[in-house]
Amino acid sequence: MTGLVLAAAEAEPQVHLTSQTRIVAAAIAVFFMLLILDLIRRDRLQERYSVIWLLAGLGMLAGAAFPGLLELLADAMGVRNTNVALFSVVLLLLLGLALNFSVIMSRQAAQITRLAQERAIEQARRQSAGEAANGNGSAGEQSLQSKEQRL
Amino acid sequence: MRTLVFIPAWNEEASVASVIADVREALPEADLLVVDDGSGDATAERAREAGALVASLPFNQGLGAALQTGYLFALRNGYDACAHLDADGQHPAGEVARLLAEVTADRADLVIGSRYHAGAVSASDDYRPTFSRRVGTSVFRFFLTLATRQRFTDTTSGMRAANRRVMALFSLHYSPDFAEIESLQLAVRQGLRVEELPVRMLERAGGSSFLTPLRSAFFIFKGLVVLLVGQFRPRQAEAKQ
Repeated sequence: MTGLVLAAAEAEPQVHLTSQTRIVAAAIAVFFMLLILDLIRRDRLQERYSVIWLLAGLGMLAGAAFPGLLELLADAMGVRNTNVALFSVVLLLLLGLALNFSVIMSRQAAQITRLAQERAIEQARRQSAGEAANGNGSAGEQSLQSKEQRL
Repeated sequence: MRTLVFIPAWNEEASVASVIADVREALPEADLLVVDDGSGDATAERAREAGALVASLPFNQGLGAALQTGYLFALRNGYDACAHLDADGQHPAGEVARLLAEVTADRADLVIGSRYHAGAVSASDDYRPTFSRRVGTSVFRFFLTLATRQRFTDTTSGMRAANRRVMALFSLHYSPDFAEIESLQLAVRQGLRVEELPVRMLERAGGSSFLTPLRSAFFIFKGLVVLLVGQFRPRQAEAKQ
């Protein structure tokens, strides 16, 4: 049974990209890269986060201009249908990008937390200094202030 | 010996002042800091009126970040020991004093107040945990004991006392999502002496617990992931001083 299915699959011709697909893909790639450049120009996107997107746009353009590259890729993956190879690769790239953003997000969340903590501590320190200056702070709070002045 | 007692508080205007008064009475020598975790109510004002220092986080950051703020404050300001308790009135300050005594006597680096520890049974008539809390507690108890090879009975206790080694460690690393359990695992892995002490706990004075059954299930799942990942974290010889 499996042999039959395999034999039927062998008989199917390899599926290539049509020229219409290629033209549409090239147009989208160019539009995409222009959008990225415009976002940078209007300070909506930082350069360091744009590199990866420009590379993605260039990759898209290369795939549309030289379909041979995609077919090589499909062969290497053992996929008969070039479109399927394309989808798989793009999907993997997007997964990688999403993960990359989660990492960046985690780092920024940690930075925001630390910033909030520093602000909160500074507020408590000023309250303590103020109470000591007004003469109604306890001995503990005065020693806290003098300790900070030494630091 | 300078001691800081800090109280993480999120929307606890009803109970924070009485908790502060309780601590003042039990620990007159200690400095008091309320870490206001972005409360929308008058928690910070009530705490200031009651005579505590207040460190307000500009937005709610979760219990872990609030506790870390306390540890960071204690570390920066040269306190020798610190302790924290919940702002909802569940933790009698007299019990906190007992935890602190363990730390100041240098019998442990980190002392956890346990509701479930054998010695607490006789006094536990006034504390009745809900069903989902009991399930969560026993699951975590099992896995944390497995992970640390040290017996823990009350893994989610918010009543602790610590010395400067713990302050240094926790102000650098403190999981924002899963404060209590991961911090225990971390402390044991870093070779710190962690000890449990049976304590008496009371019913909540105000507010309500955030644990619904569905949330508990998610909480447990997240906790297990955190524990598993924690087992693969690099071990440091000594926390930076």
